[in-house]
Amino acid sequence: MKKQELLQGMRDSIPIVLGYFPLGFAFGVLAVQVGLSIFQAGLMSILCFTGAGQYIAIGVMQAGGAVVTAILANILVNLRYFLFATSMVPHFKDLPAVPASLLSYGLTDETYAVAINRYQTKPATIAYMAGLNLTSHLAWITSTFIGAALGMLITNTDQYGFGFALPAMYTCLMVLMISKKSDIIAAICGALACLLMGYFFPESMANMSNIIIATLVGATIGVMIHEYD
Amino acid sequence: MSTTSIFIMIFGVSLVSLLPRILPIALLSRLTFPPLMIRWLSYVAPAVLGALTALSVLAPQGRIDISAGNLFIWAFIPTLFSAIKTRSLFITLIVGILSMALLYNLV
Repeated sequence: MKKQELLQGMRDSIPIVLGYFPLGFAFGVLAVQVGLSIFQAGLMSILCFTGAGQYIAIGVMQAGGAVVTAILANILVNLRYFLFATSMVPHFKDLPAVPASLLSYGLTDETYAVAINRYQTKPATIAYMAGLNLTSHLAWITSTFIGAALGMLITNTDQYGFGFALPAMYTCLMVLMISKKSDIIAAICGALACLLMGYFFPESMANMSNIIIATLVGATIGVMIHEYD
Repeated sequence: MSTTSIFIMIFGVSLVSLLPRILPIALLSRLTFPPLMIRWLSYVAPAVLGALTALSVLAPQGRIDISAGNLFIWAFIPTLFSAIKTRSLFITLIVGILSMALLYNLV
């Protein structure tokens, strides 16, 4: 049973692995160009596991910014996970708290999207979380190391279409997540809020605060129209 | 940045990126939320996925690009169609990646 859950988690992480590879690879390449050693680039992916946050941190480094700036930017970028994790809480009620909390370190946009879909029909288990989160993280770490080590050799991965792995995954998970009209409206409002915010306040695109606003707007509208559904 | 600064940065970023994911589960998982809160939280996922899908397709390079030159928009059409038709993540992923590869190499 446990083994099955673990394997299912690993299987469900395949699209994430495909999507992370080019991203982690590119991070490794950039990190080394900016002056990190291969070890430091890999260590960052081991300890941080925050795609956008890591890109921003080395961007700050490249611009000659301070350590504090990189950390402050990351507080902002990672704030949305507070919301994501809180929305997991009702599904984790029957799980042992310590492993559930520890494994939640691996909550990302992608693992969240996959896991919350699964928990609509199946109960959450520690084994499933471990399979999903650890495999995804391993792909992130491995691709960073490969990118950092071989960065100079390979330049263009766009032609293989892997750049569309994560958008395709989001699209499908969004479709699967929609079971009633109010879900569609919450999704559309989230999308619009996110784009409008990004359009009028471009800096919100960089620090991803537009996703926080979009989540608050979409979920609030969803709950408001819930009873009319 | 000096080597020391780099390590401080890595540990600092690690702390602020992992705590917001771990703390809610660690602190709140024994609480029972009121029904309205649970309902609100159940709409977080559709809202987040709507936002992430829109951003990943309409702003693939980090800035909004709603134009015919944005290949992600074209690849999105068969991808959405196959997601609705098959409801299979695997098939959707294959369709998405192949569409993108074709568009990239042909257009």
